[in-house]
Amino acid sequence: VSDRERILSRVRSASAGSTAHPGAYVAPPGDARVETFADALRAAGGESYGPHPVASLPGELARLLTAWSQGRRVAVATRVADVLGGGAFDVVPVDADSASLANVEVAVVRGSLGVAENGAVAVEGPAAPRALLFLCQRLVLLLDSTALVPDMHAAVAAMPPDALAHHHYTWISGPSKTADIEQSLVLGAHGPTAMAVVLSLA
Amino acid sequence: LSGLLDREALRQLPSAERVRWHDAAVFDLRQRRDEGVARVPDFEALREQAAAIKAHTLDHLGTYLERFEERAQAAGAVVHWAQDAAAHNRIVLALLQERDACRVVKSKSMLTEECGLNPHLEANGIEIVDTDLGERIVQLGHEPPSHIMVPAIHRTREEIGELFHREMGTPEGETDPKRLTGHARADLRGRFLAADAGITGANFLLAESGSLVVVTNEGNADLGMTLPPLHIASVGIEKLIPGLDDLPVFARLLARSATGQAISAYTSIVTGPRPGGELHVVLVDNGRTRLLADPTHRSALHCIRCGACLNTCPVYRRAGGYSYSGPVPGPIGSVLAPAMIGDPAARELPHASSLCGSCTAVCPVKIDLHGQLLAWRRELRSPSRTWQVGVRAAGFVLRHPRAYRLAARAARLLWPLLGREGRANPASPWLQSRELPEHPGPSFRARQRARADERT
Repeated sequence: VSDRERILSRVRSASAGSTAHPGAYVAPPGDARVETFADALRAAGGESYGPHPVASLPGELARLLTAWSQGRRVAVATRVADVLGGGAFDVVPVDADSASLANVEVAVVRGSLGVAENGAVAVEGPAAPRALLFLCQRLVLLLDSTALVPDMHAAVAAMPPDALAHHHYTWISGPSKTADIEQSLVLGAHGPTAMAVVLSLA
Repeated sequence: LSGLLDREALRQLPSAERVRWHDAAVFDLRQRRDEGVARVPDFEALREQAAAIKAHTLDHLGTYLERFEERAQAAGAVVHWAQDAAAHNRIVLALLQERDACRVVKSKSMLTEECGLNPHLEANGIEIVDTDLGERIVQLGHEPPSHIMVPAIHRTREEIGELFHREMGTPEGETDPKRLTGHARADLRGRFLAADAGITGANFLLAESGSLVVVTNEGNADLGMTLPPLHIASVGIEKLIPGLDDLPVFARLLARSATGQAISAYTSIVTGPRPGGELHVVLVDNGRTRLLADPTHRSALHCIRCGACLNTCPVYRRAGGYSYSGPVPGPIGSVLAPAMIGDPAARELPHASSLCGSCTAVCPVKIDLHGQLLAWRRELRSPSRTWQVGVRAAGFVLRHPRAYRLAARAARLLWPLLGREGRANPASPWLQSRELPEHPGPSFRARQRARADERT
């Protein structure tokens, strides 16, 4: 008998199959205001800019990229390249080789949803090569201000039906962090040391 | 209470000053949890919902396990089953050896700790590096984690600085957490890029889509499952939840209960292997079906490993994580250990509790922790022969007034000796962090007799 059969038979003899699922959770109404989102993001160590009108977005982004990159490599995911127009950055396709991204200082990626209760931004699989999100020193996520939802329940409800057809779907809230040495919060554990969300006005 | 608990506590927290420091460090997490929870008006409703989802899933676990397997395979993952730690370690080693993978990065997984995976791989010539900063610290110090969320919570910054200096050649005397973290980051970045395989756990498995959900603050699990060509996820069978719609309930509870954060920095849903890579999921029993079959203790399988019960526990805070015999310390460890590990020392753990119920009050998935500890006491009876004899002797003395008076007189005579540390004194371990109170003097009866004499 295989371990699979053994485990499944033990599980079946131990469980009756009679406890019903409690049904969908109904969350109390929450707000999805930009200020609520920005406060939650700041509490998570991130920075929030905007919302900027689409026309001024390239200029605002360029300013942030110049300050953050200090002349080092800026990599922009294909999906946001058109927003930036031209500039001193590489456009990286979603299938870019991970090793080629090890020296990226600032990455710019499109976020698809923002969660006001916790400042998390959802990044879909096709938005960027996954390694870019974690290898860059500083991460900039571009987010439409109309894509804010109040809480995680609404965030999951708003996911596109094919979201899990891709290898990954990630919520990112602020930069990577640790407090493993005497509970002192340090931003930049293994991933980005800084993270900003730039909101655009539709 | 438990001799074991006291012995190990003294090793880890040898002075009263160190006990106070540990207590404060751990309680700080409890306070952050309280602040985080207070901001969520529906927190109690979330706990109810989470407990109900877990109870439902466990009661249909066979269906959900098979569904997970089918959907995960459809997405391109390979699913393995391991009935115990040995089978798990064998599967992981074979996967690595078949691909000549000798450099492995691992993110935090209490399951691999429970299975003793690291020593097994190392004995077979594989280099395995723990990448969570706290786990890296205890790995470099050749010690096990002392807390499930904050593995090196028992170490001071000075000790960590010294360890890094010795093991990684960082500047001597460095104690700044930010710079120490920076050194570890630089060292581990190279290891991530050179790794042949990444091993992670999973916080949740979604049956409906065959997905893993992995939550970290550091981003180490994400690097480990993104950079190397092979990703192995070792997961206990109790981590199943039905599907994506159930995830927000747990996502809102987990970080708030652990550190007070509204959500951890990264919550990643991974379905199938990355393009060009491989994903293997190892589903592990290792005693879990035994708990499942036990209606009294089944709800211990609800646990999402947030650590809230450790942070609030007056015993854990003062005794430290090494006082517990299993891989998981604290109240949840004392509930899991008697069922999961055969170690007789684990039988003592349910006795090492004040039953204050603080753990039950904070548990995000509503495990009746102190009720379970009490139930274990009933089921396991006496932890040791000495304890049994002691309880029987106490029963005799309390039933017989003459014996009681004799015992009280003996205690009064021996009192000064009991308070003195020494090899002959069995109470010695207690006395290193406690003081024997002053003896109140003559007994109630003797005093009454003296008063009666005065009056006559």
